[in-house]
Amino acid sequence: MSTYDAIGDEARRPFSGRRARLGDLSLQTVAGLAAAGAVSVLGLIAYKVVQGSRLSLSTFGLGFVRGIGWDPVHNHFGAASFLFGTAVTSIGALLLATPLALGIALFLTELAPRWIRGPVTALVETLAAIPSVVIGLWGIIVLGPVLREHVMPALHSTLGFIPLFGTPSPAGTGIFTAIVVLTIMILPIVSSISRELFLGVPTELKEAALGLGATRWEMVRGVVFPYARGGVAAAMILGLGRAVGEAIAVAQVIGGVDNLIGWNLFNGGNSLAAKIALDYQGATSQLEVSSLFYLALILLVFSLVVNLVAQVVVRRVARRQGLVAR
Amino acid sequence: MSAVELSPLQRPNDRLRRRRAVNRAMEVLAWAAGAIGIAILGVVVWSVTKRGAGQLNLDLFTKAPVPFAIGHVKQGLANAFAGSLVIVGLATAMALPVGILVAIYVNEFAPRAVRNAVGLTLDVLNGVPAIVIAIFVFGLLVAAHGQSGFAGAFALAVLMLPLVARATIEVLALVPGTLREASLGLGVPRWRTTLGIILPQSIGGIVTGAVLAVARVAGETAPLLFTSSIVGNSVGWNPAHALQSVPVAIFELSDSPNPDDHARAWAAALVLLLFILVASLSARWLATRSRRKLGRAAR
Amino acid sequence: MPKHGMLIRITLVLAAAAAVSALAVAGAGAASAKRSSGSLTGAGSSLIAPAVAVWSQLYRNATINYAAIGSGGGISQISTRNVDFGASDAPLTKSQGEGCHGCVQIPWALTATSPVVNIPGVNADQLKLTGTVLANIYLGNITNWSDPAIKALNKGLKLPNLKITPVHRSDGSGDTYVFTNYLSKVNHTWKTKVGCATTVSWPTGVGGAKNDGVSAIVRSTPGTIGYVSVAYTIANHLRLAKLKNAAGQYELPTISSIESAAQLVKATRIPTNNKISITNPPKSKTFLHAYPLATFTYVIVPQSTSKAAELKAFITWALGSTAQSSIKKLVFAPMPGSVTKAAKKTLASVHS
Repeated sequence: MSTYDAIGDEARRPFSGRRARLGDLSLQTVAGLAAAGAVSVLGLIAYKVVQGSRLSLSTFGLGFVRGIGWDPVHNHFGAASFLFGTAVTSIGALLLATPLALGIALFLTELAPRWIRGPVTALVETLAAIPSVVIGLWGIIVLGPVLREHVMPALHSTLGFIPLFGTPSPAGTGIFTAIVVLTIMILPIVSSISRELFLGVPTELKEAALGLGATRWEMVRGVVFPYARGGVAAAMILGLGRAVGEAIAVAQVIGGVDNLIGWNLFNGGNSLAAKIALDYQGATSQLEVSSLFYLALILLVFSLVVNLVAQVVVRRVARRQGLVAR
Repeated sequence: MSAVELSPLQRPNDRLRRRRAVNRAMEVLAWAAGAIGIAILGVVVWSVTKRGAGQLNLDLFTKAPVPFAIGHVKQGLANAFAGSLVIVGLATAMALPVGILVAIYVNEFAPRAVRNAVGLTLDVLNGVPAIVIAIFVFGLLVAAHGQSGFAGAFALAVLMLPLVARATIEVLALVPGTLREASLGLGVPRWRTTLGIILPQSIGGIVTGAVLAVARVAGETAPLLFTSSIVGNSVGWNPAHALQSVPVAIFELSDSPNPDDHARAWAAALVLLLFILVASLSARWLATRSRRKLGRAAR
Repeated sequence: MPKHGMLIRITLVLAAAAAVSALAVAGAGAASAKRSSGSLTGAGSSLIAPAVAVWSQLYRNATINYAAIGSGGGISQISTRNVDFGASDAPLTKSQGEGCHGCVQIPWALTATSPVVNIPGVNADQLKLTGTVLANIYLGNITNWSDPAIKALNKGLKLPNLKITPVHRSDGSGDTYVFTNYLSKVNHTWKTKVGCATTVSWPTGVGGAKNDGVSAIVRSTPGTIGYVSVAYTIANHLRLAKLKNAAGQYELPTISSIESAAQLVKATRIPTNNKISITNPPKSKTFLHAYPLATFTYVIVPQSTSKAAELKAFITWALGSTAQSSIKKLVFAPMPGSVTKAAKKTLASVHS
């Protein structure tokens, strides 16, 4: 093709000039609108939740956080017992799940024979995919009776001197059951993130430690754990956020008791998320609905804080480990 | 007895023995943790499979529920499966295009600061509990207009958006820059490059993200409890009305004292679990395949 | 231009258009989420739910969608007009009535709530209870089944040394209203400390969601006592306890004992808002075998509604003899003629 023809082709190019700029502009506008919309959804959520809780905010103010009891007859609502329930169940689940998750991650990266690693990893991720309502169903029908008939009485008779293991609840539901259910739910998150972190530890570091005469455990403790420390912290925070926000499975097994704050883990209780799920349809007065929004506001603030902290930690760890291309 | 004389440094002493013992103990613990993890998962999956398989029959999908049935009546959860299909389908139709557009904006047009901000917002949005999203959509759409399948689909779409957007961003970033530059160099305008060349290259990854997002929201109960839970027993397909969905049906049946109800709940749970598993596995297979294809294209 | 460029472009444009229209239709659809004609959507009392289930299969002129979310839920859903009708066993309080903006309540069925127990060694219909003992159990004053107060009522029955777990409703419940209404009448401490409503602050015990939830807990846990709508006790084979009425007789909820309690309506006039309470009928020959926990249950409709025609057709049918006798097997007694007349009169005031 001669130069003249090339220039001619160029001049005849159909998608140049104004039409191209219009196309570029429209795509940018539409995509920009979509991005703006996505970002504003978060703001809209915050706005709607605050708006819904305005009545309760003005009636109870910050005292709501300290108030115990949910009394629609005398129109007195307080979040303290739900905050307590959320705190105890989430922290309890995190305490149980973290060692297990780290152990599983270690097992999968260091100890397991090669042929086991794939299937077990797949199994753990399957657990992550089980919907919370199914775990709640299992908790009510399978776990509850087992806890009620075997585990709780056993714990009570052996460790009953600790106030945590007081008289077992007769129904099989309660804070302890909720802790077990939440542990099962956050175990996959913490363990798969930890597994990836452990896999990312440079082999040179590990081999150096072993070469210097360290035992396997000393290598893990001295090289793997410090290297993965930040990421494991992020994983724990994400797991905590998941546990705090879980409404359905907890609602199914926690027993729905609103006024109790006590040491006994076998008591019934309620959590912020579960209360919203259980009470929303039956809320009778405007103040009660607004108080449910108030509970949602507390939950939203808490999960935003937890999430932001987790995201900051994750980004810092990723940058440090060179996993992010930016 | 050893034929070689070991120096004091090489002979096993108490300290080494202790360290080895600790190592052994930790290995045992780690094995135990692995075993417990497998056991827990196995128990849950086994329960669902065993209890669900017994009640799994065609009636589950074709017959509507008959509550308070006296005696043994053939019933199923047809309305829940129909409703879930409609609601999840609508949610995907809402979330997928918006998610792709957000990813296009972030990848092609946004300055770095905006990119980080949008990325952070998406991750934070991903972490908002489903129950808060539920009460948000309730306040936004249901309080004024009543429950509907649309409101439920919108709530699920809000949950799907961060997943779809994130996956698309990552897969768009994987498209080799040379492809973009070649296209622009040939005079193809930006928008045609993006829509006609970059996007089709990443279709595999986008579909993966979409399928994973569907797997995530197929089992979500809380948003549908607030937006689409006051339903009748007949099978409905109209999203302007509230539609029954599988997770809400399981939630309601789990509270029932009737063992027949429990049996149907287990069967529905098994179907849900199988669906989610198949979706996740196929998404992963798609992801591996598209990554391989992109890798080949870069060469 | 890439080989399939045109095709891809068209596909993308169509997809974008589909998405935009899906969102637009979603907004419009959510905004116009009114039930189509030929169907009625209701929510509320789980007590009436078995009856509505039977009715929705017999009634040919419309599809009836009903969600049992508890009487409290029914009141709030109809107040926000999310549903076409609400159902509640508890009559509207003054503030609820105002919040509903011009609703009327129409009694449309008659049945009872009953105490149910799960005590090893005690069979159905064996245990005898009085209102005072019941109040003390739920107040937390009586904590063991072998308590002398219970033993005194049940000479000859072997009661185990077992902790009592009182089960209550965790949702806004008409059964709770009936139960606490009765306890308030027979026990002064209950009246002042806890009161009578669809949700109260329970001094002790565990909660179950709706009649189903309470039934499930009582059925599976030894030592529990709960209060459940009679229709649920049959289906779930729960063990009832006999309750002592004001005339001194220990009664079970049957069609005749419920009908007997409903005679209380004759003695008093039915107010215009149809607020009737027939718990704890007084001691007299008429009420010798009256059941103390009987109750009417209401359908709540807005006085002015676009669905007036369908609602009036359905409720008139429900008040008729076919519908009322179809639910007798669920222990719903036929309503006294005076109540049916008052119901029809209120229904006539509903207009579109």
